[in-house]
Formats: sequence, structure tokens, C-alpha cells
Amino acid sequence: MIMWHPIKGCPTVTPMSMPAVQFADVAASRGGRGVLHDVSLSIDAGETLALVGRSGSGKTTLLRLVNRLLDPDRGRVDVDGRDTREWDPIALRRRTGYVIQDVGLFPHFTVADNIATVPRLLDWPESRVQARVGELLAMVGLDPADFSRRWPDQLSGGQRQRVGLARALAADPAVVLMDEPFGALDVITKRELHAEFRRVQRSLHRTVLIVTHDIAEASALADRIAVLDEGRVIAVDTPDRVRASADPRVLSLFGEVPLER
Amino acid sequence: MSELLAFIASHRAEMATRIGEHVVLVAVSTAIAAALGIPLGIVAARRPSIAKPIVALVNLAQTIPSLALFGFLIPLPLFGGIGTRTALVALTVYAVLPILRGTISGIQGVPAAVVECAVAMGLTTRQVLRQVEWPLALPAIVSGLRVAVVIGVGTATIASAIGAGGLGDYIFRGLAMVDRTVIFAGALPAALLALLADGALASAARLADPRRRSRRGVVVLAALVLIVLAGAWWGTASTRRADVIVGSKNFTEQVVLGELLAQAIERQTGLTVERRLNLGGTAIAHEALLSEGIDVYVEYTGTALTAIFNDPPSTDSTAVLARVRDRYAALGLTLLPRLGFNNTFAILVRRDDAQKYGLKTVSDLAKSSRENARPWRAGFGYEFLERPDGFKGLSAAYGLQFADAPRVMDLNLIYRAVAAGEIDVTAGDATSGLIDALGLVVLDDDRRYFPVYDAAPVARAALLLKHPQVAEALRALDGRIPAAEMRKMNRAVDEGKQDPAEVARGFLDRLGGLPQER
Repeated sequence: MIMWHPIKGCPTVTPMSMPAVQFADVAASRGGRGVLHDVSLSIDAGETLALVGRSGSGKTTLLRLVNRLLDPDRGRVDVDGRDTREWDPIALRRRTGYVIQDVGLFPHFTVADNIATVPRLLDWPESRVQARVGELLAMVGLDPADFSRRWPDQLSGGQRQRVGLARALAADPAVVLMDEPFGALDVITKRELHAEFRRVQRSLHRTVLIVTHDIAEASALADRIAVLDEGRVIAVDTPDRVRASADPRVLSLFGEVPLER
Repeated sequence: MSELLAFIASHRAEMATRIGEHVVLVAVSTAIAAALGIPLGIVAARRPSIAKPIVALVNLAQTIPSLALFGFLIPLPLFGGIGTRTALVALTVYAVLPILRGTISGIQGVPAAVVECAVAMGLTTRQVLRQVEWPLALPAIVSGLRVAVVIGVGTATIASAIGAGGLGDYIFRGLAMVDRTVIFAGALPAALLALLADGALASAARLADPRRRSRRGVVVLAALVLIVLAGAWWGTASTRRADVIVGSKNFTEQVVLGELLAQAIERQTGLTVERRLNLGGTAIAHEALLSEGIDVYVEYTGTALTAIFNDPPSTDSTAVLARVRDRYAALGLTLLPRLGFNNTFAILVRRDDAQKYGLKTVSDLAKSSRENARPWRAGFGYEFLERPDGFKGLSAAYGLQFADAPRVMDLNLIYRAVAAGEIDVTAGDATSGLIDALGLVVLDDDRRYFPVYDAAPVARAALLLKHPQVAEALRALDGRIPAAEMRKMNRAVDEGKQDPAEVARGFLDRLGGLPQER
């Protein structure tokens, strides 16, 4: 059973709910080069939003604004109704999950220690940390008895991504940021992980921003898709409606990749 | 090999001290270099714009030859002087580069994705460094440390030239005596030390690896290292500062004379005497006196006049003596009575060359060189080429013409180079035992070009005031060492392979008028 969440503009939106993440007229640059222009976008709590676009369209930059790896040049980014620049970056990041294509597991930590990183930073009691690690490994489909003592280089690519996901979810983050999390996987493993992601998200309802250049993946995972082109958001809507768009820039994205579902 | 074992057996106590000094020199300098290089490397790894100039600077320091570096350091007020402190500064300079490089490449080698995740997960900058970058960079840092330690063990042998002790004492002594056994006695333990230190660091790195982390291993290794360091420290610290420190320059005669002074003082006064023999040259020995690194050594009047006081050379021995004594007095140093021989320079050629070309005097050689009877190739020690009373004055006074610019050679190798035919002419010490031993002849200085080089002890006046009996003891040697005796002693060491201490003891026993050894 998939629980679809209210989307912006739909009459079912709870009036009291505040967007989990909101971009308002944001401009941002990297290395002195303007990457994002006038981006306004809001993501509701529990929603999965996919950021889609070609390489260099500004997807990753948009993601990095959410956990203050980057500050905007103009405009503001609100997380839980508060400007990110008012957040303590460390506190903000500890409540924000982060998964990237290269996974970035700590090679000198076991799988269990990798997953336990943020809970330990938050000074959870060790018994709770251990319980949480077991719970998360089971949730992402890895047998805790077998995997918790392994080292990252003893895992397959798919297993590594699962551990990366478990690590990002460890401390119950309000928001999870995923940058091409499945980009380096073969098609079969990717499908498996898509199913896994949907299953996890059904039970957790996190607010998820997922960056992908693969619109099929976006359609498979997200409640809504935001299409970026040259630093601007040119479409935000449900996968079906984005697919029905008449904008040639959007259509060209579909033209490249066959649909998955 | 059996000679080496015999030498080690008979020098057990001294060798333990030298090894201890060596270990302390390397351990302390590497520790300081790590304390500087690792933080610097971490900063530089994050800011490549800073890294470049820093690495360039450290690189540059690395290229300074070690003796030149000592030369720079000795006159400096805080780091200078002679002895352990200066040696530590120099060794630290050399150890910084590999550690800095290891740290920079280690930190930069941490995968960007791993660091990005660490930051994004909410690790503070400090936590990223401590929990992620440091452990992942550690293998590279340790290899930097290993290189630094191995270089350090080798370079520390040169520290002997500025009186810092260590195994270099044997190497320099062996070179001065042309005795392979003594060289090996320094070189072999140094090589073993390098291997041992390298191995210890390698196993430390293995134990630090999270996959193989073994608490017991770490404890055992740490305990071992601590024991070695403590032993080394004790070995050096237990030799408390002696009442008198006798120095010498780094050639046979000086070492023998150093022993002679030391034993003369020991026999007659009962004061404790420390020996800092084999200092790397006149300037270093003189600086050592001024900085109180040593209390007394034997200098030659002509050398003091020209090389230390930059006065024009002179052939009038009384005038030179008076002048030098005054100049020393102004520095708080006392020139004691002359020992009795004049170690002037001697121009040396092979005996067969001398016969073939009928050479008896330097003028004969000059004539032959101008007539181009054959291309004469010359080679000299570093000092002789630079000194005003050295090569330049000599060739001007006699009109010598050599085939090429003279080669620069180590004083200890120069006699052998002539004997082996690598060069044909050199300037040696008139009292060298090798002259007869290697079949060389002295050409007469018929134009009286070379000034007098009367040997005499020079001591710190403050020491003589504190221990007047030292002056008394040294006065007992007044005029008691004629040139023939000196040459005999030199030959006993250079050719007879006798220990300089033994030779000096034998001489003092024969001398009479002194109490027998206590």
C-alpha cells in the first residue's frame, strides 16, 4: 500500500502544515559562477521530491543549500520554517540525512560503526545505538548478524548503498538528501533498491529530496518532480503531469531514457 | 669481523653511551619535526596556496649540506653553539620535509566523498579531522616518519662533527685513523638502529590499523619503545657534565693530542674529563670554546693567527705567539705553553715522482710545473684552499702552475689520493704519520712561505681560574713533544692501528715526571 502525501496545490493539504523545506527566490553560485537563479520551491513534510535535470543544471547545488553545505547568495532557504543561516550548521546537518553516489562510507569503520556515527555524535546511550543499528540493517534488507562487523570494502555496490541509506536514516532525520544515490548501480540492483526505498519510505514518511538525472528513476520514487534547467526550475508537478508537459526542455529529458513503470 | 667484535667488547661502556646519544638525537629531533611537520602539513593540505611555498622552503632547507647547515647554525645565539642542541636543530630541519610531505599527501589522499559525507553528517571540523582524516592519513604520515627516522639515523652520524656525540664519533675517528674496524663500529650499529626504528614504526602502523587493532600489541610496542628511549636517555644523562671538557679537531694528531691533554689532566688533578674529539674544523673548535661547549683544545699558532683572527701570516714564531696570545686573551681565552713541535704545512709528492723529476724543494716543483714536464694534478683539503696562507699564497709565492684547478678533498683521504695516483701534489701536515707510511716525501719550503704552526693548548680563562690545577697539569707538557715524537704517535695510530688513547697513555708513561695513571 502506498500512502501518497498531499502535494502543493491540491485541496487535501492540511492548512496548518508548514513546508519542511522552502526555497524563496534563491540564487546561488559555486566557485564564483552563478548556478541557481530565482529558485522558489517548497517541499512538504513526508514528501519525496525528485530534482531532475541535465548535468550542470544545479540539482546538487540546490541540495547542498538544505543542510548548509552552501549558503545562498540571494533569497532564503527555510528548513522547518527557519532560515538555514539561523540554524547552527552542525545541528542542522545532524538532523538531515545525506546519501551520495559514492556513498562515502568511512573505510576505517565497520558497517555498524558507520551507521552509528550520527547517533554517537548525538550521545545516544550505547545500548540504544546498537539496537538502532540492528533495526536499520534489517530495514534495508541486510542481516545484522552477518553485516554489522563487515568492512565497507567487503560489500557489493548495492550493499554499500543500503548501508549508506541506513546511515543517513540512523538518527531519525526530518529530511533526507540523496544525490544520485543509485547512479553507480547496475539495472537489476537499481530496481531492487528502488523497491526497497519505496518500502522504507512507506513506513517512515521522511521528507526526501532526491537528485537524479534519470527521469524514470524520479518517476519511480517521487511524489513530485522538479525539473531544473540552467539553474531555473521549469516544472514542478506529479510525475504524470510532468510527463504530460508540452515544454520541449522537459520532453527531451523523457526522450533520453525509456520509462521504468 | 673478529676485530670488530673485539673492538666492541673493549669499548662496551663507551659504545652504549654513543648508541644512547644517537637514539636520543634521532628520537628528539624526529619528535620535534613531527610536532612541527604534522600540524603544518594538515594546514597546508587544506590550503594548496600555502602548501606550495611551505614545501618549497622546507625542500630548500633539505638541500643544504649538513656541514654547511652546522656552519650557519653555530654562530646563532639561540640555536647555535656546538653540541646536542645545534645538532637537534639541524636534524629537525632535515626530518621536517618527509613528515610534512607524508602528512599533506595523507590528508589529500582521503577520498573527497568520505570527507563530504562526514561534513554533511554534522561532524565538526575537529571531528572530521580526528575521526576521519587523521586515521585515513595515518599510513602516509607514518611512512613520512619512517623516512625521517632513517634519514635521521644517517644524518645524526655527522652530528659528531659538532661534538654532539653519537655513533658518528666512531665513523669520524675511524676515518681519521684510516681504520675500517672503527668505522664499522660506528656504521654497523647505525645501520641496525635504522632498520630497528623503521621496523618498530612499521609495526606501530600495523597495530594502528583498525582491522588488526590489538590492544595488547599496542601496549607491548609502546612499552618497548619507552624502555629503549628511557635507556637511551639514561645512557646519556648519567654521564653528567664533567669538570673539564677537552676538544679536538678531526684528524689523527688532534685526536691524539686531545687524549694527551685529557689524560694529563686526569693523571695530575683527579678532575673528571669529558672528550669531545673529532670536531669538524678550526672554526667549529673555536666556536666551541667561545660557547663553552669545550674548555680546552690544541691549536696551532699560525692557524689561530690567520684562520681565526684574520691577521696576515708570519714566519716569526715569537711574534706570532705574542700576537695570538693577546688576541685570545681579549676573548677570555688563554694560550698555554707550546707543546714543542711546529706542524706546518708540508707539500707532498710520491717518492718515485720526486726521484724521477729531481724534486727536493717546492721551487723544484714550481720549475717542473712551469716547464710542463708533466701535468701536475693537485688536491687540497677544504681549509687549505680557502686560507690566505693556503693555496693562493703558495702558488703566487712559488709560481706554481697546475694542469687543472685543484680538487677539493677530505683531509683524511688526501694522502691516500696521492699514494694512489689520483692526484700528484697535496699539502699535508708535516707531522702526519702517513707520510712515511705511504711512501710520500716532503718538499722543502725553501722560500719559507709557510708560517709557523706551533702547537699549544688554548683554554677558557674562566676554567683555569676555577681549576688552577688544570693549567699546572698542562704546563707539565711545555715543550715535551718534539716533532719526531708527534710523527711517531701519529704513525702508531694511522699505520699501527693503535687506539689514540693507548698511544697517548704510552707517551705519558714514557715522559716521566708525571704521576702514573690512577
